[in-house]
Amino acid sequence: MNLVAGLDFSILPQQLANGLLLGAIYALIALGYTMVYGVLRLINFAHGEVFMLGSYAALFTSWALGFTPEALKNGAEKPSSWMVLALMLVVSMVVCGLIGVVIERLAYRPMRNQPRIASLITAIGVSLFLQYAGGLFLPQSPPPAISEQVNPYRKDSDNVRLTLKDAPAALKAQAKLLDAEAGKAEAAYRASEQQDPPGHTTAATEDLRQKYQTLERSAQKVEGEVNGQSVKLNIPFGQLIMLITTIVLMLILRHIVMYTRTGRAMRAVSHDFDSASLMGIDVNNVVTVTFLIGSALAGAGAMMYATFLRTNLTPFLGVTPGVKAFVAAVLGGIGNIPGAALGGILMGVVETLVIWLGFSGYKDAVAFVVLIAVLLFRPGGLLGSSKVEKV
Amino acid sequence: MRNNLVGKSILIAAGLAMGLLGGCKTTETGNGSPAPDTKSGSNTSSSTPARPSPKSDGNAISDPIKIGLVVSLNGDLKPWGDDSFKGATLAVDEINKAGGIDGKKVMLMPGDSNSSPEAGKSAAQKLIADGAVGLLGEVSSGITQQIANVAFDAGVPVIAIGATKTDITAVGDNIFRVCYTDDFQGPVMAKFAYEELKLRNVALMTDNKQPYSQYLSKSFRAAFEKLGGKVIHEEFYESKQTQFAGQIENLKSKNPDGVFLSGYFNEVGPIVNQMRQAGLKVPVFGGDGWDSSELLTSGGEAIVGGYFCNHYNSKEDRPEVKEFLSKWMARYHAEPGTTMGALSYDAAMLMMKSIEKAMKANGTKSRDVTKAIEDTENYPGVTGNITLKGQGGNPRKPALVVEVTKNGFVWRKSYKPEEIEN
Amino acid sequence: MKFWGVRLLSFVLAFGFVYGLDVVTQTAFPNLYRLAVLAGLYVTLAVSLNLINGITGQFSIGHAAFYMIGAYAAGFVSQHMYASQPLGPVLWLVVMMAVGAVFAAIAGIVVGLPSLRLRGDYLAIVTLGFGEIMRIVVQNVDPLGGAYGLNVKPFGEPPKILWLVWLLAVLCIAVCRNLLKTSHGLPFIAVREDEVASAAMGVKTSSVKVTAFVIGSAFAGAAGALLAHSETFISPDTFKMDVSFIILTMVVLGGTGSITGSIMAAVALFAIPEWLRTMQVMIPGSSIVAGILAVGIMVSGFRWVQNNYHESVSKRIGAYLACVVGAAVAAVVLSFVLAFIPQLAQQRLDVAMLRMVIFSMVLIILMLLRPQGVFAHHEFSWDWLSKVLRARKGVTA
Repeated sequence: MNLVAGLDFSILPQQLANGLLLGAIYALIALGYTMVYGVLRLINFAHGEVFMLGSYAALFTSWALGFTPEALKNGAEKPSSWMVLALMLVVSMVVCGLIGVVIERLAYRPMRNQPRIASLITAIGVSLFLQYAGGLFLPQSPPPAISEQVNPYRKDSDNVRLTLKDAPAALKAQAKLLDAEAGKAEAAYRASEQQDPPGHTTAATEDLRQKYQTLERSAQKVEGEVNGQSVKLNIPFGQLIMLITTIVLMLILRHIVMYTRTGRAMRAVSHDFDSASLMGIDVNNVVTVTFLIGSALAGAGAMMYATFLRTNLTPFLGVTPGVKAFVAAVLGGIGNIPGAALGGILMGVVETLVIWLGFSGYKDAVAFVVLIAVLLFRPGGLLGSSKVEKV
Repeated sequence: MRNNLVGKSILIAAGLAMGLLGGCKTTETGNGSPAPDTKSGSNTSSSTPARPSPKSDGNAISDPIKIGLVVSLNGDLKPWGDDSFKGATLAVDEINKAGGIDGKKVMLMPGDSNSSPEAGKSAAQKLIADGAVGLLGEVSSGITQQIANVAFDAGVPVIAIGATKTDITAVGDNIFRVCYTDDFQGPVMAKFAYEELKLRNVALMTDNKQPYSQYLSKSFRAAFEKLGGKVIHEEFYESKQTQFAGQIENLKSKNPDGVFLSGYFNEVGPIVNQMRQAGLKVPVFGGDGWDSSELLTSGGEAIVGGYFCNHYNSKEDRPEVKEFLSKWMARYHAEPGTTMGALSYDAAMLMMKSIEKAMKANGTKSRDVTKAIEDTENYPGVTGNITLKGQGGNPRKPALVVEVTKNGFVWRKSYKPEEIEN
Repeated sequence: MKFWGVRLLSFVLAFGFVYGLDVVTQTAFPNLYRLAVLAGLYVTLAVSLNLINGITGQFSIGHAAFYMIGAYAAGFVSQHMYASQPLGPVLWLVVMMAVGAVFAAIAGIVVGLPSLRLRGDYLAIVTLGFGEIMRIVVQNVDPLGGAYGLNVKPFGEPPKILWLVWLLAVLCIAVCRNLLKTSHGLPFIAVREDEVASAAMGVKTSSVKVTAFVIGSAFAGAAGALLAHSETFISPDTFKMDVSFIILTMVVLGGTGSITGSIMAAVALFAIPEWLRTMQVMIPGSSIVAGILAVGIMVSGFRWVQNNYHESVSKRIGAYLACVVGAAVAAVVLSFVLAFIPQLAQQRLDVAMLRMVIFSMVLIILMLLRPQGVFAHHEFSWDWLSKVLRARKGVTA
């Protein structure tokens, strides 16, 4: 009872939305795992590292287009456009797709007829190799700095907002007034600060700073009251783009798998590898295409992860999302494309709900507990029954 | 040849006998004093408890003089490891260019701790076996703990670069550090928040994977509550997480006056960004983990107006800082990525100066170097004046609180250890 | 009473062996003492995982979780209770091993139970998830030291326990070996070969699987207890997912199901990174890339010879040598060519920093060239070796 009493139900809708957005990322990466597994019955541990390389591909593309950190620091900020972003996305997808194919050709194909655990060890080896070799040659870097226009966190006004329950108008008006005053005070203070010699603060600036802080504090107090009395939904613009892109990519994938020749071949190979090859399907070709598509999806995810979510890039960046996505894939029933999407979103929502319940320290553990619980009741994952077409 | 073999077998036989005796009648040495687990609460105590002395004299000062550097050149801690490596290299090259110590060149031997305590222990052991007369090392407290354990057994002094956990230097009197401790940093920020920012109801956000963050949060909480403030909520995340919307929404619903972020800059930038975006506009502040040239790139405009505690400030007027930065820029063509560059430079310099001092006093062994380090008084480091004499390995240095502005980090207030301890 | 005589003799021999090992290491190679301890622990871990994965055919990739549970349970108990009990250090360590083993065995039951319903990769993810859950729980529990870790120094100084570590390893090996060689082990192997068929033949597959998990995890837990005491400090980082993967790799590389294979692979895989740590040579980045490419060429050459070149042994050895020479030439040429790329040529790296790269390459190459593991299902013995060599002489591929 205590647990429920401490909860703030007014933020529940927002938390669910947060979970959905988080889950979309997991889902996109999980697709790659699940496709490869469906065709080869191989857990491609190197998928997270392909993802990492994709974010670097996006970074280098942005550098090549002139958005280097130095250029931005020197104030020559180029207007970034949708074209730039699209180009980064395409380059990242292509690079990742090719890397995936090369990995398959060099490391996995020779293992095709060997015990599955041997291919698993090879996958672990490839994953370690890419991490540590990347550590030798790839720079640590802040995220690609192009996204002034689409950065989800810079422009408040671009966010999608929904008000489910509003606070009293008088309170809102008061908050607005105070906010404006605080903004003015801050502007005055910052202006004064700019004129100070570097490293020193004059008494006048200090005075302005004090004034601004007092105002800001009272503004926040009222703002907090407004927040407490209203129920709002706020979806960052960049994440909305991500969500839409993810859905579009999934629909394209579904189209390929269900309604094209290649897709049919993929399904056949997934259903029965040997029979498919006996029926004249070029199995090698299908596997290559699977790796191409799965890795390209990781590339798309990586580009958006780096650019829209502003993640600092390191060669070890792929590990955590890789594991989470793998769990999502298994949760949904590995080898099953809708399952990966469902598993990813479920993971995101569960994680956020655990945070909402006040156990943020245990959120990752709970994700695994849910996974184990689901597997105990449905050993094949949520959608992993044989009725659903596997790829 | 034959002699050698006989000698060795006698040695082995003797060892066997001794081992048997020792193994069967193991005398109980030092009955399980539980390692001091002082988490928080105690402010930097001015009275330092007696620290045990290593039994061994350690390695000899050889030619070239060998100094070991244990840092994470791989894994999660790579950004700090790389910077530490650069800082120490800079210092050693500087000394070597000036003719070395007493005519002997200094050889810096790096060992990779791969962001894990076990690998750190192996690296330290290997460096000691290779003849390192002193060790520099680690940013992480956990890894430093293992380095300290090894170094204590071998009698080799350690100067920790950035390990801020309080009780690490209690391992032995050959363990030192050049940074301040969590028990100092937390109270500094608590005092600043309470007195300067006039905050009363503060929320914490802790990186649950980083011991640094856990300890800093605890010491901050204790100090802040002692001052009369209230910590109304604490949220947790794990390093490398990129989405904090859930935690932020919770914080927002608790309506705090300010948020203390005790983690590292990699996550602090995105967190503050997402906080602002979610409409939580209260002041944010944190510890020295924020210090990085990347904070502004990953935090953008949102982080402007945040405060953090630091060891030094690149815009300070002190000649040491200016000199250090110009040397660094000349060599690496970019500002230090993290504060570890300067700390590591200080640690390496302090080690070499102490070796020089020890050699002047006709010292030949690690123990003499330890003594020389212990005698350090008012060493003008980049990160402040370092005094280690009678401090139990923890230097008394002031901490700076700086504000993040668009043009970099600006000094706001300094706190001396005395101001915090009362 | 011959039975007990043999038992006693082998026990005395084993004890003499490990004790001799301890003393020799302490006097002749003191620098290697800790490494020998860790190697012994890895042997125990690999052999005990081999029981679950290799002999019983389950798919556990989270062995570090049991290692962690043993270490934390023993470490915590030791830290708090050693002072208030009469036992001496050695006996206490034995008790602690039992504590670690019991806690880990309980965890083994918890993880083993899902194995009744789950197969293959699904079981793998459960074991992996269990490890993560344990790590997160420890991070959140203050008395266990949180993310920082736990100091385990009940005796003040770290105890010299190489002999105990290797005694545990020998015990673990003996248990697994006896299981394989006696009728008790047949159900385990039956479950590995065909679960359905063995159930039909009356093997209680569920109890066999859970037993394998319990025995395997108990040994890992005992190893953890010794780790906690010999390292004197444990932290969640000590038991990262990578550790599980490395143990798994040891089992597979040695040959799933082969005990001797696990032992040798454990020692080798532990020694390679440690040995590489001693290499302190600076080489330019271009040479590193060239080296990696040359190794790739060499391996593809090897594979070609393996699959397509069915000549006499001497000719095949010649072909392998040609691959090595070709790769060496390629390495030299490539490093000259690549030196023209300034970004690569300017970057100078220590070989010691390359150790994880080399380690992962060794892993991939060994798997490519010998996917069934070095010893496959076989045990190492001189008979086996001579048989293999004789078989090689025959031309058949």
